[in-house]
Amino acid sequence: MSSREITYAEAIREALREEMARDARVFILGEDVGVFGGIFGVTKGLLAEFGEERVRDTPISELGIIGLSVGAAAVGMRPVPEIMFADLLPLCMEQIVNQAAKMHYMFGGKIKIPITIRVPQGAGRRTAAQHSQCLDAWFVHVPGLKVVAPSTPYDAKGLLKASIRDDNPVIFFEHKMLYRMRGPVPEGEYLIPLGRADVKREGSDATIVATSLMVHRALEAAAELAGEGISVEVIDPRTLSPLDRGAILGSVRKTGRLIIAEEACRTGGFGAEVAAIAAEEAIDALDAPIRRVAAFDVPIPFSPPLEDYVIPDKKRIIEAVRSVV
Amino acid sequence: MVTVVTMPKFGWTMTEGKIVRWLKKEGDAVRKGEPLFEIETEKMETEVEAIASGVLKKILAPEGSVVEVAKPIAIICEPGEELPPLEAILQGAPAPGEGVPRAEVSEEAAAPAKPPKPARASPLAKRIAAEHGIDLSALEGTGPGGLIVKEDVLRAIEAKRAAEAKPAAVEERAEPRPAEAPREEAIPGLPKAGKVIPLEGMRKAIADRLSLSARTAVRVTITAEVDMTEAVRFREQLAEEVERRSKARLSFTHMAIKAAAKALERHPIINSLLIGNEIRIMDEINVGFAVALEEGLMVPVIRNANRKSLFEIASEANELAERARKRELSPSDVADGTFTITNLGMYGVEDFTPVINPPQTAILGIGRIAQRPAVVDGRIEPRWIARLSLAFDHRAYDGVPAAQFLQTLKGILERPYELLV
Amino acid sequence: MELDREKLLEMYRKMVTIRRFEEKVAELNARGVFPGLAHLYIGEEAVAVGACSALRADDLITSTHRGHGHCIAKGCDLKPMMAELLGRYTGYCKGKGGSMHICDFDRGILGANGIVGSNIPIAAGAALGIKMMRQDRVVLCFFGDGASNGGSFHEGLNFASIWKLPVVFVCEHNMYAISMPTKKSTSVANIADRASAYGMPGEVVDGQDVLAVYEAAWRAVARARRGDGPSLLECKTYRFRGHHEGDPGRGTTYRSREEMELWEARCPIRLFKAKLAQMGILDEELAKGIEEEVSRAIEEAVEFAMASPFPPLESALEDVYA
Repeated sequence: MSSREITYAEAIREALREEMARDARVFILGEDVGVFGGIFGVTKGLLAEFGEERVRDTPISELGIIGLSVGAAAVGMRPVPEIMFADLLPLCMEQIVNQAAKMHYMFGGKIKIPITIRVPQGAGRRTAAQHSQCLDAWFVHVPGLKVVAPSTPYDAKGLLKASIRDDNPVIFFEHKMLYRMRGPVPEGEYLIPLGRADVKREGSDATIVATSLMVHRALEAAAELAGEGISVEVIDPRTLSPLDRGAILGSVRKTGRLIIAEEACRTGGFGAEVAAIAAEEAIDALDAPIRRVAAFDVPIPFSPPLEDYVIPDKKRIIEAVRSVV
Repeated sequence: MVTVVTMPKFGWTMTEGKIVRWLKKEGDAVRKGEPLFEIETEKMETEVEAIASGVLKKILAPEGSVVEVAKPIAIICEPGEELPPLEAILQGAPAPGEGVPRAEVSEEAAAPAKPPKPARASPLAKRIAAEHGIDLSALEGTGPGGLIVKEDVLRAIEAKRAAEAKPAAVEERAEPRPAEAPREEAIPGLPKAGKVIPLEGMRKAIADRLSLSARTAVRVTITAEVDMTEAVRFREQLAEEVERRSKARLSFTHMAIKAAAKALERHPIINSLLIGNEIRIMDEINVGFAVALEEGLMVPVIRNANRKSLFEIASEANELAERARKRELSPSDVADGTFTITNLGMYGVEDFTPVINPPQTAILGIGRIAQRPAVVDGRIEPRWIARLSLAFDHRAYDGVPAAQFLQTLKGILERPYELLV
Repeated sequence: MELDREKLLEMYRKMVTIRRFEEKVAELNARGVFPGLAHLYIGEEAVAVGACSALRADDLITSTHRGHGHCIAKGCDLKPMMAELLGRYTGYCKGKGGSMHICDFDRGILGANGIVGSNIPIAAGAALGIKMMRQDRVVLCFFGDGASNGGSFHEGLNFASIWKLPVVFVCEHNMYAISMPTKKSTSVANIADRASAYGMPGEVVDGQDVLAVYEAAWRAVARARRGDGPSLLECKTYRFRGHHEGDPGRGTTYRSREEMELWEARCPIRLFKAKLAQMGILDEELAKGIEEEVSRAIEEAVEFAMASPFPPLESALEDVYA
């Protein structure tokens, strides 16, 4: 298998194309996904390739988009709806949380809802409070849902294919700032199983569990800290729920120090869950307090210096590591 | 059910004891209440009773070993019961209901005691420390905010190993204590000793305690001359009566005990213990008096001396002294003293600077009572004179209260009829 | 579709079954044996039976919290249904769903929904799936007057219309959403008038007349099946009991006795019985026979349910993921 470099967006498009070609039940729906090719260009070309029936432009109707996806999935289709921004998820929360997540359980296993909801998320584009959020933590808290957040083109393609083939409802968070990121992606077919973390960098003095864009900030921080003789291990969970606890705990037991780096705001975030797991199951391996690096507990501000200040950066991660070694 | 036998604590200041003798072997049946082993502390030697019935399954601290209070020394199991894994036990968890005869005040006073002060350490550091028997409270933390971290504990383990690698001073010591004294050969030019008395057991305990006192107390000694003429006459007159009533010989020490007790009533600050950051003025006036033995000294205590008559004090003190010489003092006989009297007068000592018995804040030394020329009403007369030396800890109070106490005491001794009330 | 004698009697039997089943649930509830809430369908039998009679066995329905009638009308087996209501392991959903979440996929019941209106986009989605799979099945979506004011109604109908989905929307207009009367909550007197806002035909139907419901439903289902898209039927009906069992006075805090009596006079079963008698299809003896059969079937269902075990505790942790 040769490896070439493509962007995160291209990797996602490839995954969609391959799965739609492979299984006629897979179809895409969402706002501006067809003719426009998606506002981030991710679905460009798919309408031409698969036609209107399988690449459906919808009205502005998030509730309807997900509701229809649930119904179609219930009768055997495999819809891949797109919700344009994570910030719009509250509009269709009901269908995600009360319907998609619960139907298999409530109906005693009789119905499957194999939908994969693709959601661009995150800040950095000066799109302000209502178009910049990371809300993955909300969905980690819902039993019956799977939550995936890839950080590289390689992970994005493998995980999206696996998500589409999963018989459960999956929310697939794509970080908007990563769409143009290039990375090696093999030519042939491959899948990345859900629920398996990835050690993005090995180390021995501290563990950083980072998600999405923060994986890269953590890697940058780790590179700089290496120059100071501090060896940092970076773990990318890739699937936030179900979480690969074993990988995280194994790393914590090795290094004795845990830092969680996430873009979402701190309070009640995903980092709190990881910290609790470490405290519950590896307390006597911890040689220092656990640190969370996250956005300040504020809505994302518009003005560029303010947005950059609120969102965690490499510097904040470095400071957190230094404070515990 | 498994019972962990631990080193008991007798008295406020006991921090460790030496196992002199096991009265049972491993495998023997044991009955609750029967003597199980003998220990020696700085203050006394005593038998210790078994706290449970069963079988003495394992002796963890052999004869001769010195063990800290509350550390495990043996395990009693029910007949037929298996020995549990020792690791957890050896970490030093104290057994429930072990022999602490009375509620103790805080152990912060004497440095040789290792009180269970919660140290700020990371969970990992705590685990490693527990596994290696490292006392966290003795460590400095280099982690965030002064947290003790793994590195700090690893360093302590290294240091402990290095210390243990040094050979025992003079006599081999049983586990679990590392030796601390330097080897003789390390000091060049020293002549070889004729007889060597190891600094251990009671001797070491005394050495340790007095070292502590010397190091920490700010000792000031004030002396006063007391005209003991009336006291001498008083004693002569009473001696017969006392002997008849209490079968005891009345001594000046007994009179001093009573006098001191009365004086302490009037100067409560002297009847205090300095423990940690607290000067505790005690309600009970328990006067200890030194009894010399061949290898050391013991200080039995007359409890509530202020409420006992001179006769009772004489009787009790005699009995205690007798038992002390026979090594039959019990832990309660030597515990809880608030003030100490030491009398070297019979050895011709005029005055001296006794070392305060921590955590007490004062000690009275009595010197020789001898006839000396004194000026009385302008004339020179022979009078019986003795010098009292009061050593006190200036941290607890100043010269004036001490002097006032000494003055009161002198007054009582010079008008000894007060001793009868 | 012409209705023969057998079919008519079948419809009658189904209505009686619904009525007696619901009465039995009320009784179990009154005895304290019934866990949770029961929302009874008594008075509305003609809507479920009329509409479902127009469906094929392989057509689908989505139901609501007041869905026992829909499920029975679609052909549910009473035993696992009663067992589910009583939380037993032998229930349709292994005891995990209860009254508001009955699901019998084999009989085309896509599940009852406890969230008002949420089944509307889901029904549209099922129709979308069916259409994409080139099947000629139809989805029938039951919902109430309250649901017609919620976002789900508007988004669902809009989608069904723009994509010409094979779904029939059946609004059971019983005039009250718990205590809120439609004349205060709804911007139009006839919910069917909203159909035109979504580019589909809308029809008002007498919900107490099972044959009228059947006839309107049959036309709408045929339209959907031939690919002409969705329809909205509004069945004017009334629930004879309260919103749920335990609603004080069966709803008299917000409904007048006169109104209730007026509607109860139009009991759909009594009306249909009279009609069938008139047609010479049903006489007293036959009616009595049907009552006895139904009564027996329900008793058996209750016995079955009561004798069934509760689910094992570990089953609470199962079925979270497929």
